[in-house]
Amino acid sequence: MERKYIGKPIKRIEDPRLLTGQALFTDDVHLHGMLHAAFLRSDYAHARIKSIDISEALKLPGVVAIYTAEDFGDYWHVGPLQVPPPIAIPGAKFHAKGLPPIAKDKVRFSGEPLVVVVAINRYIAEDAAGEIIVDMEPLDVVTDLEKAWEDTSVLVHEDIGTNMAALVKQEKGNFADAAAQADVVIKRKFYVDRGASGAMENRGLIASWDNRTQNMTIWTNNQAPIPLRNTCAANLGLSDSQVHVITAFTGGGFGPKIMTSQADDVLLPWISMKLCKPVKWIEDRRENFLATTSERDQIHYCEIALTKEGKILGFSDIFYHNTGAYDPYGMTIPLNTMTHTMGSYFVPNFYTEVRMVFTNTMVVSPVRGAGRMYGNYVMERMIDAAAREMKIDLVELRRRNLIQPDAFPFRTGITGQDFVENVLDSGNYPETVRKAAEMIGYEKFVKEEQPKLRAQGKKVGIGFVTFVEGTGVGPYEGAKVTVENSGKVNVATGISTQGQGHYTSFAQIVSEQLSVEPKDVRVTTGDTDQFDWGAGTFASRGMTVAGTAIHLAAVAVRKKILKLASKVLETPEDELEIEGGVVRVADLPGKSISLGNLASRSNPTRGVVEPGVEPGLEATAYYGPPYGATGQGAVAMILEVDPETFEVKIQRFVLVHDAGTVINPMIVEGQIMGGVQMGIGNAFYEELAYDEYGQLQNASLMDYLIPAATEMPPKMELGHVVSPSPLNPLGLKGVGEAGAIPTPACFHQAIENALENKIEITSSPMSPSRLFALTRK
Amino acid sequence: MKIEGEHTFNGPRPDVWEMIRDPEVLASALPGTQKLNKLSDMDYEGVMNVRIGPVSGSFSGKLVVSDEVPPESCTLTVDGKGAPGFLKGVGHVKFAEQPDKTTHMTYEGEVTVGGTLASVGQRMIDSVAKSMIRQGFESMDKALEARLANKAGQEVEYKPPTEAQFAVSVAKDMAKSWTQIAEVRMIMYIIPAAIILAIIGYVLSRIMTR
Repeated sequence: MERKYIGKPIKRIEDPRLLTGQALFTDDVHLHGMLHAAFLRSDYAHARIKSIDISEALKLPGVVAIYTAEDFGDYWHVGPLQVPPPIAIPGAKFHAKGLPPIAKDKVRFSGEPLVVVVAINRYIAEDAAGEIIVDMEPLDVVTDLEKAWEDTSVLVHEDIGTNMAALVKQEKGNFADAAAQADVVIKRKFYVDRGASGAMENRGLIASWDNRTQNMTIWTNNQAPIPLRNTCAANLGLSDSQVHVITAFTGGGFGPKIMTSQADDVLLPWISMKLCKPVKWIEDRRENFLATTSERDQIHYCEIALTKEGKILGFSDIFYHNTGAYDPYGMTIPLNTMTHTMGSYFVPNFYTEVRMVFTNTMVVSPVRGAGRMYGNYVMERMIDAAAREMKIDLVELRRRNLIQPDAFPFRTGITGQDFVENVLDSGNYPETVRKAAEMIGYEKFVKEEQPKLRAQGKKVGIGFVTFVEGTGVGPYEGAKVTVENSGKVNVATGISTQGQGHYTSFAQIVSEQLSVEPKDVRVTTGDTDQFDWGAGTFASRGMTVAGTAIHLAAVAVRKKILKLASKVLETPEDELEIEGGVVRVADLPGKSISLGNLASRSNPTRGVVEPGVEPGLEATAYYGPPYGATGQGAVAMILEVDPETFEVKIQRFVLVHDAGTVINPMIVEGQIMGGVQMGIGNAFYEELAYDEYGQLQNASLMDYLIPAATEMPPKMELGHVVSPSPLNPLGLKGVGEAGAIPTPACFHQAIENALENKIEITSSPMSPSRLFALTRK
Repeated sequence: MKIEGEHTFNGPRPDVWEMIRDPEVLASALPGTQKLNKLSDMDYEGVMNVRIGPVSGSFSGKLVVSDEVPPESCTLTVDGKGAPGFLKGVGHVKFAEQPDKTTHMTYEGEVTVGGTLASVGQRMIDSVAKSMIRQGFESMDKALEARLANKAGQEVEYKPPTEAQFAVSVAKDMAKSWTQIAEVRMIMYIIPAAIILAIIGYVLSRIMTR
């Protein structure tokens, strides 16, 4: 069936406004009488608070109020957890430690908020914060994961007597038996670190309590506006309908903006209510690095067991995961690591164990990839180690172990972040591998080009890995589609948008059903007054889950249109068609009615209506998948390593991707490229450098290296395979995190290949100096 | 962060020791020091202004002298806190009398820096610390000279460097290393070159349009 709108690279409707500075971002909001908040944050990573003296700060003219934990009285409370504990997994041990909005008695990470200062402008608020004297008794700090697990002499949370945040084990088959039967067993230890999200726009929130209307309005750039509203209302004892959360345009989310129950969304509404004035807080870059969540280190002990033909019999992975000082986001990241380790491969026996540890560092929560990258990294590196030892070609060894197209739906036997068994819904893994190898010219490069380059003394290498991406997880999303009297269509859904083009791609889905041009479909996301049921934007689920809900609502509206038009035009429904904003009889184009007219007819202001009929051409629909849809792909790259400086230049980059049905190929390409940039960062440039005292040493863009255009490949060659998902009517899968997941493993493999396997890389990120050190070993 | 080094003072050890234990001299040796009060023979407290790159602010702290073996060695423990962060350090100082009536001082210690100083000023901490130490010694050399001269009956005034002079000196130290960086050199050549090209372009365009 030829589609008119779906699958077309339509230019984004929201771009003209964004590019000409006409879009509203949170910081653009200025309200009459608005006050500004600044936080005083702890320098120490672990300390007892003895006293806080705000007297000098209060004297500064322009300071309106200063609050410590005590000043919030009973309102001060820990948490709640944003993600529930993993009770679905048998034997799981979990210590729930929600995030306190502001530190009381003890600080557990450098950057933890101590005091909120409210003043007439941010400058005065920060000056006042500088006048506050906090007397703290520094305690010993624990930052090393293995030490934190074994040693109880330094405890982040004394009341539980351990630094164990969680212990979860899952097994499919029996790894010990597999290892006993194998011809080859290889063991490795990996240290894998990621980094900050580095969104161009930082967190921000404006809380405005109007005492006369008894309503709270919150402007924010949060990825979960509905949970934020619900928690806020519950905290303040208000009705959900009294709190209105508006998500302005957002300059990138990538994960950390999903966090609710943080200092800003808990404390600022309370302060606004107390002072009866709007209060605004915009995070600065240093605060973002120090005190907004990031995704950090894991240590993996892996074993892979293979037959001498290179068939994987089993894989074992015992790993430590750093959750930081608290664990408000539950086990999402390590569960994603667990479900993504086996990847595209058939692994009949798999054992995975996570030891989640509290440390005196910032809280860890998902950043694009959300734990998937670690699983991918260790499996791909282990396969490379096996290929090296068994002298089998890297791509061939992977081919021999791919899950075949007839195996779907493929049950993996491992429970994931949505607390159900991870099932691979559809895919054609051999095809993505074949296509990627063909696009990069693998055979030709390895056999002809590389030897020539090596003879010239150039260190050029090729990398090739595969990956899977779990997307579109539940619980559900909803949407409302309405045809208005103007003939234009209004769409509202609960998730919010961070720049992934929802205003366009969602419009395309509706246009396909209602034959209204995308520019005449108005999409509203993240406004709780327009739609207030849903969970949020995370796990690459916006298009799959909210998009499907929008599709179902549009389908229902189309039915209503045809039913009413059939009555009005006195023609059976099957002889009607909708085209160009008009419903008409197929063979009699003169006999028609515009959608706008029909909408007016559907909502009379006088007369009587038939019983059971709903007014308007409107429908609300909800969609929740039984499990997430899994995308897959293969990445290949060719890069050159400078033999003296060990700087790396990417020469070619190929990514073949299967994300099911593609709504807007241009937007998908953008998403993939953005993910690749973050993957390149994680491979070679980005790292949050905490020292052993829990001090972050690079909390600025001077020292935290986000890849610029100069670090990117000159061109990204993207290929597509389409295996529609059977889980939703349009066959959609998510794609937002795809680029970030496989890139580090491919990057490191290519470096090893460039250096002719004289080194083995077992930690990420690498850097020129680390490479140099490895070559000197 | 480890700190270690040495310095030769132009004077006999007993005089050097006396000078080191004089809070006036210590305070003036590091400009930016607002005050240094002697609480007891072994305890001092004070306030000091610090600037490392873009980070600046005032620190209040304690200095404790321990393990004293006059005039040979002692241990200095520093504990400072302020808006820009915190600083904790322990240093061991040794003085050795040289045959030519000079004193050779060696020091080694461990310093922990936290807060904004650490997270934003990290790259510059090393060089600024070295510069501050160098400045401090220079200043103490002058103070020692004045002391010895006064002892000998001459009127010599010792004027400690002002905060402004100190800042200029640190900046000079930093700049010296800056011009070694290729990118900075490039800018130093490109900017004048660009200006000259622009001027030539403008002049030519005026000539052409006649």
